[in-house]
Amino acid sequence: MNCEVCQLKELEVEHFEIREVLRCILHTILFHRALGLVRPKDVDLELFEITYVQCGDMELERKIDEKIDQFIDRVEKHPNKKNQICLSFYEVKNKHATWFTNKVERLFWEHWYINLNVMQHPKTPSGKSHHSKLVVDPGVEARGARRAALEASLRDVLFQIIKFVNEKKDHVPSIPNVEGIPFPYEITISSSSDSAFGMDMFKRMLQTGHPTMLS
Amino acid sequence: MASYHGNTASEPAKMEQIITEFFAKSLRIILESRCPYVSSRNYSSEQVLLSPSPPSSSCSSSSFGLRDKSFNLALRDCPAALDNIDFWWQSNLEPMIVDVILVQRSGNWDPMNYLPKRGFARTFSGKEGYYYNSENDEFGYEIESEKIIERWVLHYESKQSGDHGSGVMGNKRAACTSSHALYNKSTLLLRSLYATVRLLPAYKVFRDLISSAQIRAYNLGHRVSSFVEPFTHREEADMQHFVFSPVDTSCGRLCLSVLYCSSVLDISSEPSTPISPQVIHEYVGSPMAEPHKRFISAPVSQSSPSSPPFGRYHSWNYDIYKVSPSSVNLSPSSTYSESCASMPKQLSHRFPPASLPNHTASETPPVHMKDPNFHEYWPSPTFSPSPSPSPSPSPSPSPPAYIPDSHILKALLRSESAPVGIPISRLSTLPKMPKNQLLPLSPSMGTSGRRVSKTDGCSGLYETGSMVDKLFTSAKDEAGKFSGVKQSSNSSSTKSFSRSPSRFSFQDHFDDSEFSGLFITNDDDLTEPSTRPGSFDQPGGLCPSGRSQDTAVGALICMLKKAPPLRPDISITTNLVQGSKP
Repeated sequence: MNCEVCQLKELEVEHFEIREVLRCILHTILFHRALGLVRPKDVDLELFEITYVQCGDMELERKIDEKIDQFIDRVEKHPNKKNQICLSFYEVKNKHATWFTNKVERLFWEHWYINLNVMQHPKTPSGKSHHSKLVVDPGVEARGARRAALEASLRDVLFQIIKFVNEKKDHVPSIPNVEGIPFPYEITISSSSDSAFGMDMFKRMLQTGHPTMLS
Repeated sequence: MASYHGNTASEPAKMEQIITEFFAKSLRIILESRCPYVSSRNYSSEQVLLSPSPPSSSCSSSSFGLRDKSFNLALRDCPAALDNIDFWWQSNLEPMIVDVILVQRSGNWDPMNYLPKRGFARTFSGKEGYYYNSENDEFGYEIESEKIIERWVLHYESKQSGDHGSGVMGNKRAACTSSHALYNKSTLLLRSLYATVRLLPAYKVFRDLISSAQIRAYNLGHRVSSFVEPFTHREEADMQHFVFSPVDTSCGRLCLSVLYCSSVLDISSEPSTPISPQVIHEYVGSPMAEPHKRFISAPVSQSSPSSPPFGRYHSWNYDIYKVSPSSVNLSPSSTYSESCASMPKQLSHRFPPASLPNHTASETPPVHMKDPNFHEYWPSPTFSPSPSPSPSPSPSPSPPAYIPDSHILKALLRSESAPVGIPISRLSTLPKMPKNQLLPLSPSMGTSGRRVSKTDGCSGLYETGSMVDKLFTSAKDEAGKFSGVKQSSNSSSTKSFSRSPSRFSFQDHFDDSEFSGLFITNDDDLTEPSTRPGSFDQPGGLCPSGRSQDTAVGALICMLKKAPPLRPDISITTNLVQGSKP
């Protein structure tokens, strides 16, 4: 089984947009991978005119919100860095209890990399008199243009997900007869400053033992 | 079909079944999110049983009992989609083309009664298919233009495979794999379809149509067929093409694609007519709508020409008792009319609205004041004309017909909207009005004032606007409970009425403490009700025993106007000034 990797288009977001953007992307991916019985739930974004679909699984919703909270905390702790969320699907390998470890091996068959560049608000220059001109907001028009551009980019990302899901089907395991998400998954967060930012993917490549097919 | 596990029995049939169900499911997903009519039908039919939710939003709730769970995607049943699919597609694998049409209309049309006409479309092979035609002349609108904003094409390309496998078992295994794989991949494809229909521009138009309270100049329709004329180059240039990856099987490939117009958002962003709440002045039964059913009273001619005659009357005009039965309305409601004290122009709005239950004109006997008891002349608190100009079922917002004393008394006592009396002691603190300077409770009082007032002897109920202003000012100062006419402290029958919709009690008509409004009466008026033009010829006075006639009349007038007007002060002042003019 191949492990497919999808590097989604990088999005420039403001701090307050992180939650909505991540929810939209993560739920869209999971909706396409929750191949058990689902009751789809349409969700309208508040910041953008986009409607995405959730699986309708409250537990899944809670987990995603937790991860998003972690991501936001990380962004606050590591500003001015590119941050990445990786959503990975795997199969549990047969446990091989060894003398040294009981670690369960996971066989990843798909990785989704969500790249966000969180914009920081410009700071007021220090040491200047109070008469100096403060760094001002870019303006309503500029913000509107940026928001529209982000919405278009987000829509592109969603279409990118749909295309990827449709083009790559052979690597998906058989769908068990369960509700919700039949495949285990994990969500990891990394930043560009982390040494593991690029290594994380490399490690997974080694784990899968197959050449990575980038979309 | 929660899962599809292949077995060795009739794989081609299973695959055909999968494909058939895939087509049905796809059509359902498309129509649910494109056609308001289809969506609303589905919504309305299910909301009785299921928890309410927007038609475009499939809530993940176990309350959705009717759900199609095929391909692990639980959707609400869509009868319209089933109608389209049942007769249309059978087993000959014809393509299914779903056109989503944006219809722009002009002229008068009733969106509430809009029902897309159901018509037929012939397929290339001669099959007929239902479609929803937006053309609907019977509702009086004209179609300006129709534009196909989306075209969904589903088809299964079967292929003749020369390789039939190495044997029966080989064939069966390949078929099993094929049908199983087909099912899994179809499941994935339907997920993508479900997400895609919500990302395309037409979805926004759909949501605007089903959620907006505004009247739109456009609507969405659809057409399902197996053969359509291809787009022209010009049309296709404006459209974008999105092709889903086909699902390959050993017997063929399942293909799904969409041509969509991205400029549909420009049409949907056109200004629309908001359906804003509007005050309906001429509702059925309103005096303005049915002037012939207004009070029959003489001094109508003295009414301001700009205002309807009825507007000059208070609800509880003396003349009510001469009104024909058809113009009488009696409501058992205990809430007294606020319009009793309303201004003339507002009276027409405020007369017994449709909310008045039970009693209709046909049920009301002719008004005839048999009982001289003062209570009879009080406007029934059951008249509860609310400030809202809702249409009244009664033919005329006229005061009640015959009202038994006890009924009136009880109604008045339990009224909540009637004015509340204020103690006489309070009245004494009010500026004293000279005799013959009576301020009507409402502009309609002017008419009654004319009746009760004489040019000389009878104190008119009218006062100049300045005096009214003063009184209103002082009245408002009185705890804001009333804004009506102040009552002369000289009158023992000082009554007050409130324009506030509360606390009208008539435990004792002559208990001034029960009134919250002020009513300036003049003894002369109260003593000579019969001299008033158009006054009802009631044998008895309005006063209970022990009170002067004038006081009773004044009290009656006060009672007649006990409901505060919709728009206090201004109109009263205006009409008072008008009424004061000879």
